[in-house]
Amino acid sequence: MRSQVELLVLYQDILLMLDEAKHEDKCMGIEVEGVEKLKKALEEVAKDIQQRYIRMFERLKTRYSHPLVPVQEDTCLGCFSKLPTSYHERGRNDEGIFTCENCGRLLYWIE
Amino acid sequence: MNNGEFVSYFKEEFFIPKLKSKKKKAVLEELIQPLVNKKLIKSQKLVFETLLNRETLGSTGIGKQVAIPHCRTLAIPEICIVVGVSEVGIEFNASDGKDVQLFFLILGPPLDESNQYLPILGKLCERLRKKTFKDKLVKAESYEKFIKLLAKG
Repeated sequence: MRSQVELLVLYQDILLMLDEAKHEDKCMGIEVEGVEKLKKALEEVAKDIQQRYIRMFERLKTRYSHPLVPVQEDTCLGCFSKLPTSYHERGRNDEGIFTCENCGRLLYWIE
Repeated sequence: MNNGEFVSYFKEEFFIPKLKSKKKKAVLEELIQPLVNKKLIKSQKLVFETLLNRETLGSTGIGKQVAIPHCRTLAIPEICIVVGVSEVGIEFNASDGKDVQLFFLILGPPLDESNQYLPILGKLCERLRKKTFKDKLVKAESYEKFIKLLAKG
C-alpha cells in the first residue's frame, strides 16, 4: 500500500509530464500520442488520494508551480526554511502529510 | 550546454555494458538498480511507476535501436543518467518497431535549479538520431571510449 505522500508525488510527477509532453513532441520529436491515456492514469492515482489532500494540492497549485517539494537536510526546498525537529522522523518514514510552516507547501523527504 | 558539461552527467558507475533483461519492464528495473545501490532513490517503486507512466504517454524508444526512458520525479535529488547496452536487443515498442540495444535512462527532479534536464534530453535525442552513431556507441569497448564518442557527437 503506497502512502498518501507517495501518491501525491506521483500525481505531481504525472501533471508535470503532461505539461512537458508538447515540448518533447515539438522540440525533440519524441512521440507523445498517449496524452489521453496518461490523463486516465492521473485520474486513477487521484482516486487513491484522500480528497482533502487533493484539494490542498490544487489550492497550493494556484500559488506555486510545484505544491509538493522535497526536504533535504531537514530544509524545505521550496522556501529553504528549516523544519521543526518534531517533523524529522515521521516525515522521513512518510507517516502522514506535512506542510512547511513557512510557505505551506506539501513536503516529501527524499533521504 | 557545451560538451564538457554534457558528459559530466555520465558516470562509470552508472554504465551497464551488458544488460541481462529481455523485457521492457525488467530493463527499466535493471536501469534503476545502480541508483538504488547508491542510495540516490528513496523509493524504487515510485520511480519505476513514474517511468511506466511516461511510457504510457508514448514509447521513449526513439528509433534506430535507441531508447531514452526519462521522467522528472521528486524521488531523486539530482539529474542522473544510467546507460545500458543490450547485445541482443530488447522489445521496447520503439517508434520504428526495432528492438532496442542502447538505453539512456534520464531522471531529474522537478525543481531542477540549473534547468538542465530538457537540454540534456534534447542533446541526446539530436546525437542519437544520427545514422551510424548508435552502432559506434554499442561497439565501444570501454566506458572511456564510449564517453569519448558521446562527447564528439
